Formats: sequence, C-alpha cells, structure tokens
Amino acid sequence: MRSASKNTLLKVVILGDGGVGKSCLMNRFVSNQFDEHSFHTIGVEFLNKDIEIDGETYTLQIWDTAGQERFKSLRTPFYRGSDICILTYAIDDKTSFNNLEMWRTEFSYYADVKENNQIPFIVVGNKSDVIAEEREVSQLEMETWCNENGITSCIETSAKNASNVQEAFKMAVQHWLRLESRADKNETDINDTVDLTKKSGDNRMSCCVGSSDD
Amino acid sequence: MVEVKEEEEKKQVAEAAAEIAPKEDEGENENESLPTISESEAENEVSSSSDSDGEPERDKALLIGVAFNIDELYTEILYIILHNVGCDVSLEVGQNSLFSYAQEAFRIPNNKHRQLMDIAESKQDPELMINVEVIEAKELKSKDSNGLSDPFVTLYLASNSSHKYNTSVKSMTLNPIWEEHFALPITGNSTGDTLCLEVWDFDPAESMKEKFVTATSGQHENELIGRASIPLNTIPASGMTMWYSLDKKHKATRQGVLKVRVSFSSGKNNQVAQQEHRHMRKIILLHELEMSKVAPHWWCGNFSSQGEQLLTQHIAQSGLWPTEVALCSYSVYADVHQKHPLSLTLFTKLLEKLVKPLKTEDISEEELKLFWEATRKLLPSCFSVIRKIRKKSTTEKTIMKQVIEVMKILNYITLLEPNGIDLFPSTLYPWITSREDGPNCDILSTLKEAVCRGASDWLEYLIEANSRQNETDLVKLQNLIQLIHLVRTDLQKSIEYYDKLFLDHLKFQYAKCLYVFYQARIATLCEPEVTEICKTLKKLHYVGYSFNSAPVNEDPTDDPLLEGTSLFEVYLTLQRFVMLGKGLCPAEYNSFHIKNFHKWFHGGVTQWLDIAVYKALIRIEKAVELDKLVHVDTSVKYSSSAVDALTIFYQVKTFWQQLNWPDVEGSYTFIAKIIDDICRCCVFYADKMAAKVDGLGEVEDIYDKKFEITNEWCLAINNIDYVRETLEPFTRELNMEEVLKQIGETKGPLDADRCKNTLENVISNAIDTVRNKIIELLEIVVNKMGPSMKRLLIEGAELCNQDSNSVDRLMMYVDNNLSTLHRELNSENFNRILQILWDQLSEILNDIIQNNLEKRRPPSFFANLHTTLNIMLGSFKNPDDCSSCDALQRTEQILKINGLETADLIHQAYLELANLFEKSGETKYGELSFRCKFQNDSLIIEIMNARDLLVMDSNGTTDSFVRIHLLPEHKFIGVEKPKTKTQNKTLFPLFDETFTIKLSTEQCEMEGGLILFSVKDRDMLGYNNQYIGEAFLRFSDIPRTDQDLSSLPQVKKWLNRPVTMDTNVIKALESRQGDKQAREFLKKYKQRMGS
Repeated sequence: MRSASKNTLLKVVILGDGGVGKSCLMNRFVSNQFDEHSFHTIGVEFLNKDIEIDGETYTLQIWDTAGQERFKSLRTPFYRGSDICILTYAIDDKTSFNNLEMWRTEFSYYADVKENNQIPFIVVGNKSDVIAEEREVSQLEMETWCNENGITSCIETSAKNASNVQEAFKMAVQHWLRLESRADKNETDINDTVDLTKKSGDNRMSCCVGSSDD
Repeated sequence: MVEVKEEEEKKQVAEAAAEIAPKEDEGENENESLPTISESEAENEVSSSSDSDGEPERDKALLIGVAFNIDELYTEILYIILHNVGCDVSLEVGQNSLFSYAQEAFRIPNNKHRQLMDIAESKQDPELMINVEVIEAKELKSKDSNGLSDPFVTLYLASNSSHKYNTSVKSMTLNPIWEEHFALPITGNSTGDTLCLEVWDFDPAESMKEKFVTATSGQHENELIGRASIPLNTIPASGMTMWYSLDKKHKATRQGVLKVRVSFSSGKNNQVAQQEHRHMRKIILLHELEMSKVAPHWWCGNFSSQGEQLLTQHIAQSGLWPTEVALCSYSVYADVHQKHPLSLTLFTKLLEKLVKPLKTEDISEEELKLFWEATRKLLPSCFSVIRKIRKKSTTEKTIMKQVIEVMKILNYITLLEPNGIDLFPSTLYPWITSREDGPNCDILSTLKEAVCRGASDWLEYLIEANSRQNETDLVKLQNLIQLIHLVRTDLQKSIEYYDKLFLDHLKFQYAKCLYVFYQARIATLCEPEVTEICKTLKKLHYVGYSFNSAPVNEDPTDDPLLEGTSLFEVYLTLQRFVMLGKGLCPAEYNSFHIKNFHKWFHGGVTQWLDIAVYKALIRIEKAVELDKLVHVDTSVKYSSSAVDALTIFYQVKTFWQQLNWPDVEGSYTFIAKIIDDICRCCVFYADKMAAKVDGLGEVEDIYDKKFEITNEWCLAINNIDYVRETLEPFTRELNMEEVLKQIGETKGPLDADRCKNTLENVISNAIDTVRNKIIELLEIVVNKMGPSMKRLLIEGAELCNQDSNSVDRLMMYVDNNLSTLHRELNSENFNRILQILWDQLSEILNDIIQNNLEKRRPPSFFANLHTTLNIMLGSFKNPDDCSSCDALQRTEQILKINGLETADLIHQAYLELANLFEKSGETKYGELSFRCKFQNDSLIIEIMNARDLLVMDSNGTTDSFVRIHLLPEHKFIGVEKPKTKTQNKTLFPLFDETFTIKLSTEQCEMEGGLILFSVKDRDMLGYNNQYIGEAFLRFSDIPRTDQDLSSLPQVKKWLNRPVTMDTNVIKALESRQGDKQAREFLKKYKQRMGS
C-alpha cells in the first residue's frame, strides 16, 4: 500500500524500430532537449521523471530500448514488471508502423502477462513534424490498427518540436490509472470475499462448538 | 654333389621367401579360407604327436610360406644342433633337449624326425670358421736391451699347427695395438680343438725380406714373449671378447695380457642365412608364444633357453652379423606383431640397434626394403596405441608405457627419414583424411590424424551411448554438460600425462592438437542444440514482480528452473573449456569458433536473470519468514533477514561473476538489469518486512486500545535501511567501471557517458525507491500512533483545567514510543520519523481544529489544546527539532489564534494588516502625511495633508476627510474618534488639523496599540461615505516628547486596503458566526476591502 503522499512508481518501456525516435522522445519528455545527432542506443537507457496528474505525482521509470534486432536479447529482460508499454513508430516510415505487431508480440511474450489488455499499451506515432509529402502512415491507419488490437490510446508526437510529448506520457499514465482502478476494484472484491470466508469460518466453528455442547 | 644340393636348397628357400611377402600381405583377407589348411595339418599332428592334443591352433597365417620348405628348415636345425659350436650347449642345454624342442616347435612327427635326422647326419660338416680379431696387448715383458719389445702375434689352431697366421710387428712398445682380423677354417670336430695365440718379439737384426719369410713360415729367431690357448669349446656360439694372460713354459710370472675377440662364422651365403634365420626365428617365436601363452603386448624378446640356443647357434654357424640379426628379428617380430601383438619395447630396442647402421652403413637395397616393409607392419599398432589412448580396459601405467615406446619408435623412424616410402597406405590407414598422390610418409601429419581420430572415435562413442530418441531438452543439456566435462578431463589428462612425451620425442603438441579438434566438434555439437533450446525455453511464469504479491511459480513442475539451471551449467562448462583453450593455444584462440560460444546463449541470459530474481524472491520470503526479529548481535541494530537478504544479493552477484559475459554491450545492459532487479528485491523485502510486523504493537488497556512502537517495528525499519545502505556498494562490485571503460574504448566516450548516466540513474533510482519504502513504513508507524495521539490531544483540550491525568498519559505515550524509536533507530531514521511525526501531528491538529470550529467550540478549547500541544512538544527529547517543521508551526499558529477571545482576535487582524502595510510601497490610493507625539498622557496628532488621492467622484476629484481610531478598540472604549474637515474636490487636500486625545497612562503604554487613519470620500448627503484607504501607526513608533510638534519629522504613509479574507485570523473570525463583535468586524472589513 503506497501512501497518498508518496509518488506512485510506474515502469515504462518504450519499444519500436531503430530510428523512430524513442530516445528523442524520452529525452524531450525528461529534460526537454532534442539532439539532432541521435545515437544508437546501446541495449537500454534509463531515466526517471515525475509527472503530475490530477494532483497526484507519479514517478515514471522509463526504460528506453534499442530497436536493432541484434539487441533483442539485451532489451527483452527489461519487459517483465512493466506497467506501461509505449509502442513507437515514425509516421514517415511505414515499415516501423507495420512492425508494431511484432513489438507488441515480443513485449507480451517477455513481459509474461497473460492478457494483452492488462498492459497499458499506448501507440505513439513520432515525427509528426515531417512535411505532408513524407508521411507514410495516416492518423486513420494508426487508429484503425489500435482498434483492431484493442488499444485505446494512441497519439502522434514530435520529439523535435515538442508537440504532444508530455501529452503522450500523460495519456499513458491515465490509461494505466483506468486499468488500475479496474484492477483495484477486483482486488477489493477479492479481499472482501476473503474476509467473509474467514468470518463465516469462525462462525461455523463456534456453531460446531455450540452443537457439541448440546 | 653336395654343393649342388645346397644350391638347390637355397634356391627353394629363396623361392619360398619370395612368396612370403605377397602371401602375408593378403593374410588378413585370406584368413577365412585358411582354416582348411590348418585343419588338415592339425589332423596330421593328432595322428603323429600326442603332445599337440588340445593345443590352441597356431596362427597358420604366419607360417604360410614357411610351411612349404619346413622340412628343409627342420633339417637345417637338426644339422645345426649336431654341429653346435661354442661352449654354451654342453654347459646349459643338452643336445637331446634341443632336438625335442625343435621337433615340438616344428611339429615334426617322430618318423619324419628320424628321416630328416638321417639326412642331417649324412650332410657334410659345416664350413665353419673361427674369426679372430687381435686387438691389443698390455704389460708385455721386455725382450730388447732398450727395455722394450717389437711384438707381433702368431695364431693357429692346434689341430692344424702348420697353418699359422701372423700380425704385423709393432716396434718398440710393450702395449701394442693391432686391431687385425683373421679367419681360421675349422676342420673336423671343432669341440676338441684349441686356438693358440703366441706373442713374439721380432728380431730387428734380420732383414725385411727375412722377416717376411720367417714370419710366414714361422721359423725365425724371434723370441717368444708368451702364449695363450683358448679351447674352442669355451667360446660361446655368439662369440666373445676377452683379455688372456700370456704364459711361458718354466716361467711362473705373467708375461703380459692379450685382448682378443673370437667368434664363429660360416661360409654360408649370407642372404640365404638371413632368410633361414627369419623363418627359424618366426617358427620358434610362434612356438614359444603358444607354449608360454604370454599375453598380448607382453613378449619382449626372451626365448626359452633352448630357443635362444638354437637361434644363437644358427647365427654363429651362419656367420650373421649383429645388424643382420637385428634386422631379421625386427622383420619377424613386426610380422608376428600384426597378429599377436608383442611388447613395443622389443621394437624400440631393435630400432636402437638398427638406426645407426641403417643411417651409416652400406645396407643392401633388399635389406632396406625388408626394414621398411617391417616398419610398415609395425606402425599401425603404434597409431592404434595413440588412437586407443583412452581405452578403459588397460591401466594408466600400461598405456603410458606403451605411449612412451610409440614415441621412441616414431622418433627413430623419423630419424631414418623415410622419404619416398609409402609408410601409410590407404588400405591400412583408411582413416587418414588428407591424402595426396604418391607415397605417404608424413609421420607427424599421420600422428595428428591418429590423435584426432582417436579423440573422434571416443567422442562419437560417447555421443552415441548417451543419445536417446525424443529426449527432453533437459536431458540433452545434461548430456552436453557431461560430454564437455569428459572432454575437459581428457584434455587435462593429456596435458598432465602425454603432452610432454609427445613434445620431447616428436616436438608434437598433443594437447593442443586435441583441443583444436575438440573445440570444433563441441562447437558443432553445442551450437545448434543450445540456440534451439534458447529459442524454445519455457517461460518462467511467476507473479511477484509487482510490489505486493508473493512470487509464485505457476508451473507446478520446476521445469523452466531446472532447464535454465542446466543451460547455465552448460554455459559454465563451455566457459571453462574455452578458458582452457585460451591457455593452450594462445595463437590460434582467436580463430576458434567456440570463442564466441556466449552468443549461442543470448536467449538464455534473460531466463537466467529471471531465475536469479525468482530464486532471490523466494529466498527473501523465506528469510523474512524465519526472521525472529531479534538483533543479530548486540553490536548491530538489525535482525537475521537483513543479513540473509544481503547474502541473497551476493548470490546474484556470484551468478554475474560466473557468467563473466564477454560482450561489453551485453555486460552493460545486464548490469543495468541486475541493479534494477536488486532494487525490486529490496522493495519486495521491505514489503515482506512491513507485512511481518504489521499486526504487532496493538495493545489494549483499561483506558483504550492503542499502538505501541515495538522493537520489532524498529528492527524492520533498520533491516530495510541496512539493505538499502548496501545497495550502492553492491553495485560497485558488478565490475561496472571496467565495463564502462571498455565501452569507452570500443564505442567512444560519448556512448560510455550515456551508459554511465543510465547506470547511475538506475542506481540512484534504486536507492530512492528503497528509501521511499522506509519512509512509507515510518508513515505507517506514525499513522498507527495517530488515533492515540488524537484522542489524547482532544482529551487534553477538553479537560485541561480539570483534575485529569490525560495529559500525563499523553506524555507517557509519546515519551515511551519516542524513546523506543530513539533507542532502536539510527539517527537518520529517527530524524525522519520525527519529521513525519510533526507532519502527522499538525495534520491531526488541523483535523481537530476544523472539527471543533465547526462545533463552535469556545476559544478556551483551542487555548487548552494549545497548552496540551506545548506540553507534548516539551516531552520530545529535543524541542528544537520541531522548529524545523513548518506545518506544525503553522498549525500551532492557527491553534493560538483560535484560542484568542474575539476582541483580541480582531486586534490581531489589525496588527497583521499593520505589518502587511509596513512593507507596502506606492499605492493608487494616495499618501497621507502627519505628525504624532505622546505628551503627558495625551496623544497629539497633526494631520497635515494627503497627495495623489484616488479619484472617487465622477467629476474626477475627491472630497476627502480622515478619521482617527485607536486600537485595540475594546481598550479605548469611550475615547473619542476625531476626524478632519472634508477638503472638497481635490486630490491633494491640505488638512492641517491637530487633535489632542486624552488617555490614561495605561492606555498610552498599551502594548500593541495602534492608530488607524481611515481616509474616506464624503458623500454629498453624508450617508454613504466611500472608503479610500487606511494607514496604521504603532504606539511604539510614536515619540514621547515635550518638543513642539512642528519640530518633529513628518510621517508619510501610503494608504492601503485589506485585500484578502484568506488569513487564519479572518478565517477564525469567520468561524465565530454566533459572535456579534466578529460579525460586525467582518462586515466592516469587507467594506474596507472595497467592492
């Protein structure tokens, strides 16, 4: 039980093809910086950042992963225990969009979750700053794909001009909150049940004692 | 006639010999058809000789060829026995025993024996010679006047004394060296004859011619120095070299010593003799092997005395030279060795004798051919030893001995430079893979192939023996582990035992050769299996990564765990194997495929990390369960599970060290993962710890139910803190610096920096997260104390002035708990919990205040509460601590305000305004100038003027006047509130009015007394004056003087208005809705704020 005054810790994993701008997205979000000369991430990078939503502060522990295939075995260990998974593509790169399915599968497999709808996947189409002619994935396509895959949150961002970056992370946390409140409800139900059984068990015992006295 | 017959015999033997070679070569193949021949022979034997009953079949294949002229050979043997030379026979073995031995060896039936004996007896005596080498003499008696002699030796056989032989004359010496050879033909019965040796002093007076004549005729005037006679029957058949002492008739003293080598020889054709000897040796050897039933590999050249005698006689009577005998033996033994393995020592001994002659002497081409033929037969068994070096049935020592012999043999053969000889035909060496056209005589490459082949056979056998149909991945992995382990053991053995042998004898790197072979084979074996298994690893399903729930492996069988562990074992086994290779073959190491074995395991690492965490979580849970929550010892403030948790983390570290991941990018990433995992383990531990103490400390006494802080709670907090403190040192032990350094070297400093940042972020995140966990726990503790503190505070407020011990109880409660905390917690955590306690306390107080304000409790209630709080704060060890807590101070302030009577509260509001306005700069309301002084219990105020007044009227001007109030109001009841005249239509009014207000001394010295100047705009009708602004002057700022007012400085104050209702004082007043005084003040206050 995390008390209200303490920040809730959320583990966020950013996935997507190499070069779609995962690290840029993270750096924009965390330090509001953008580096034109982007590097290949080696394995993973980690940053954390507090974000406030509805008066509550959440600490996001963000794991930015390397998209290149050769890093596969280096990034997959980080999936387990994630609270939020940000699936990223670049809107000027159709392949990266088509690969979302692969990323989703990879994540679901290694994160060891049984049902996909338990993970707050959110889809982020980065590089919304590109000119219209270079766009290869329309917003509609993104929304359609999300609908088909039961993903309710998607957004187009630009790490370069900072558009929608904060919103994307906020959206992710809000999505998590929705799932969490649902889960919490279930948990409370379970707890109640447990208590009830316990009580009824006690009752039954006293009943038995009573009857033996008879 | 005899000559012709002998010639014929020789011819037959030669022909037979010619047939031997091809027949023997085919021997292996013809094995199957041979039994028919042997059977027929066996039948003969049964009918003729009862001795042979039940005897094992002699290897007929070896005798084939010899069998064709066995009669002739036997006859020769008989003949030799009949004409034994040398002393040996009579001394050791009787002639008859030799006959029966030969008969047995040759398996000759009695009648045939007699028949052949007749032939042998009727044969002419052998043409035997005695070979004499006169070597040297010493200590000869002097015969000349100069004290020296000119010695020479005359030698002859007693039976033929007329036939004399002389050496040359060595002049003027008593120690002559001759080294001259003579061959004396033996006629008749050699056994009775004697070799006579005479040393003479040459007479120098005689002419050279005479000397020659006399020397040959033996008739000379020379003087005899001494003589020696050697009966021929004292000479062994194999010959001898001896010193003989020289005697002279009638002289008792020794005349000197003479060294002579004597041996027998014959005039036999040498080639025929060699051939005969080979056949004879073979028959005797086979016979002896059969009789003695010596185990394979054991016979090393020792014949029975009869066998030895026969062979020696044959050598002597045939006049064979030692080299020839050695060559014959070598050839025969190599031949027999193919079927009945003999001791390899036998061959090394022979080779030792043969190498020098073969290299230096003029050996006939035929003999050379014979040698290489035999060598070709011998070598397969050598390579077989190498190939079967791992054979289980033989002892280590035997194998070692064999290997040593093989090394010696191969070394000798190498020394002989077998260039151009096809030593390794593909028919005998089908396993040689790299073959070029032409003869193959490359011993080292064949050795290499044999080494590899042996290793390969062994390995494939192991693989075969271990493989099952449809085996599980687990079994596959365990098989791999065992296999690599066996290979490693084999390599270590090869290093320990054999490597030096190979190197010393042949400069061959045995272990390295083996390693090169093994690494390739193991790589091809492991890579596909490992990569496949890594791909299909069963996921380890467990919950428990979330912060609360326990780890539960949902797979009831522990399969994924076992599989992962086995996979890791394979990794470690391979790692050790590769390390071995790095040391063994430093130059080749980089070209080994197996060097990059870790890449096969990429998929496995994830699983191992998962398993490491999973196991850690399970162990942590167990550790917490077992923790009795008592100090580990008196010097520390944590309990067993903290120590256990640390041990558990170090197990993860050990795993990491064992993994020793060679790839630097991977290492970096895995370190990040491990730190994150350890952080999660810490959090898990903290949660488990919190859950363990959760129910503790709830006590109930006659008064109430309350929570007492227990040692257990403190231990739990200390435990978590202890674990947290070790986090950073722990991460330092993961070899982080080295990895970052390597990234810097391979990727550049920028990447290294990024990686370093990430790791530092992960570490500080981990530490923060655990620290938050501690704070969380501290909050839980304080929260649990909350209800009791709240109840006691309220009781204190209600009953403060009555006779009650509730304050004492409150103090005791807080004091007890705090002293426990102070005793048990370290100062950092104690300060943390105090901080939280202040926060909590102010929260409770706020709660109480709000609650009771709603209940309209009188100010006395709040005043009591304030007193109670102060008592409580006083009970803390260091009251100053709470000064750092802003929240508590604010709350205390609120409490203080609410405890005030309304009039005081109102004055408080004025005071706050006065303070606020003090800091104000220029305002839009304007500025007021005045002068004041106290004089003799009077307050004299001169209102001078105002400027830049706010425009209040529609005509752009203001009709202003100033009213003077003295505050606090209730202390100045009845005192007049003078006002100035109204100055119309000006923003710069000149009032210039002076007021003198009579006061009591008490009033003059009123603490907190204030003058309030209210500047208002006069309404035309005077009913609705508008408020412009106000200014305050503190009594304390007013001079007490007799000086004329005009000499005092002007006071200028900007006018202000109250701006907010949001102050604690106003709020407190607002809460006093039932209080008329408060209501009226607020009404006016709002007016003053303006609308």
